[in-house]
Amino acid sequence: MIRCKNISKIYHPDIVALKNVSLHIQPGEFVSIVGQSGTGKTTLAKLLFAEERPTKGVIEIGGWDISKIPDRDIPVLRRQIGVVFQDFKLLQKKTVAENVAFALEVSGERPKRIAEVVPQVLRIVGLGDRAHRYPNQLSGGEQQRVVIARALVHRPKIFVADEPTGNLDTINTREIIDLLLRINEFGTTVVLVTHNRDVVNALKKRVITIDHGEIVSDVEEGRYRI
Amino acid sequence: MFIAFYRASKFAVQNFWRNIWLSIMTVSILILTLLSINVLLTLNVVTDRAIGYVEQRVDVSVYFYETVTEEQLTSVVSYLRTLTQVKDVQVVTADEALVRFQEQHQGDEEILQSLNEYGGNPFGSTLIVQAYNVDDFDFIISALDHPDYQEWIREKDFSNYQDIINSIEESTQRVRWFGYGLSALFLLITALIVFNTVRMGIFIHREEIGIMRLVGASSWFIRSPFLLEAIFYSFLATILAGALLYPILLQVEPKMDAYFGGSTGIIAYFVQNGLWIFGGQFILLSLLNMLATSFAMRRYLKI
Repeated sequence: MIRCKNISKIYHPDIVALKNVSLHIQPGEFVSIVGQSGTGKTTLAKLLFAEERPTKGVIEIGGWDISKIPDRDIPVLRRQIGVVFQDFKLLQKKTVAENVAFALEVSGERPKRIAEVVPQVLRIVGLGDRAHRYPNQLSGGEQQRVVIARALVHRPKIFVADEPTGNLDTINTREIIDLLLRINEFGTTVVLVTHNRDVVNALKKRVITIDHGEIVSDVEEGRYRI
Repeated sequence: MFIAFYRASKFAVQNFWRNIWLSIMTVSILILTLLSINVLLTLNVVTDRAIGYVEQRVDVSVYFYETVTEEQLTSVVSYLRTLTQVKDVQVVTADEALVRFQEQHQGDEEILQSLNEYGGNPFGSTLIVQAYNVDDFDFIISALDHPDYQEWIREKDFSNYQDIINSIEESTQRVRWFGYGLSALFLLITALIVFNTVRMGIFIHREEIGIMRLVGASSWFIRSPFLLEAIFYSFLATILAGALLYPILLQVEPKMDAYFGGSTGIIAYFVQNGLWIFGGQFILLSLLNMLATSFAMRRYLKI
């Protein structure tokens, strides 16, 4: 599903974010990428949805080499990869339903289909009764669930979550992680970038540890060890 | 495709309303640009009418010596009427010329007394020649240099009318160049204002644009609302400029008609050619605005 071969990312002039990183993630896997701040976790996540391009190496998503992906193909890639960030990136002037529908609208989806899909995904993330609220009327955990719902509307094969619980308390963190596990159970590959020790240890899933831009460990049922 | 176009249009209208003051300023400048272009067009119409008005009154006065007989005069008239360039030849006999002179100077005792002292009719016959086209007068004048008639003719008077036409053309040309300059300046300001409006729009919508990119909107979809907004500005400005121009012309036309002693047909010109005039201006403005928008997007919209 995801294959990185010797990828490096060097920012101008000579800041090395990633150095010869190689990894392989199978379809349907749940992988946590851990490491301290500034070790290259987010850079790796951004490379997966072509927000950044590697300076060197090859990234394949489902056999598609995206390391030199043309700009016109990026939207096609992004409709197959759901992305969630620590800062929610919600439109404050739109309701929950409108925020979720927005992802389908800008992709040219038909209104009838939008009317069907939006309530479905809102129910999946447990916000079926919050559809007409505005983001500022929701808790942090609920806002993050809206973001997850928005990422789910395209039925992505891969879900990249970059510090999705960074702004949340323990209870909301638990809810979001449970939601990600549920998404993974549907067959979606989940890549979770985090430095939350408790989350990683509770998951008991594959853990890739990055330090100074290099993979220092890759354990099938790993724990947070930094 | 239709749905994407509809949504892009919706975003364009949202952009317009969210920055309403900036939009009003942009449309105002576009209206000023179009008004200056339309004033130029009006000037062209008025100039054409003015020249036509003068041309209709242009004629060549051919003055003959007193010794020229009626038969000789008739032969010149016949000759002139054979020329295809000649529209009409009017004969003013020596007696008629004398009567006209006396009528014109009825109150001027000094002149009339001088005429009496002369003791006879000092005037010769005159031919007033009208041409179909003002450019043909040179040919008609040279035709009158015919060796058979040359010695009968005392004077040919045409130059004053040509001066009037030249003077109209020169002064309108100067106003026209000023109008071209003003329109070009307004067009440049328009392009800069639109560039700035789009830059502001991109800044204001940076969050929305970022989310669009993230959820897989195509670059066409992200760019198109800004291009549609540029077209929307042009459309609105064209309509409003037309709406402003009409009452102005309603006020101006009667004054022009009175001055020229006939219909100048300014409004009729705009009504007859309205589709071409305003359609052309809309297309020109849209292209200019889309160009400015494209530059702004290339500079500030990172997709």
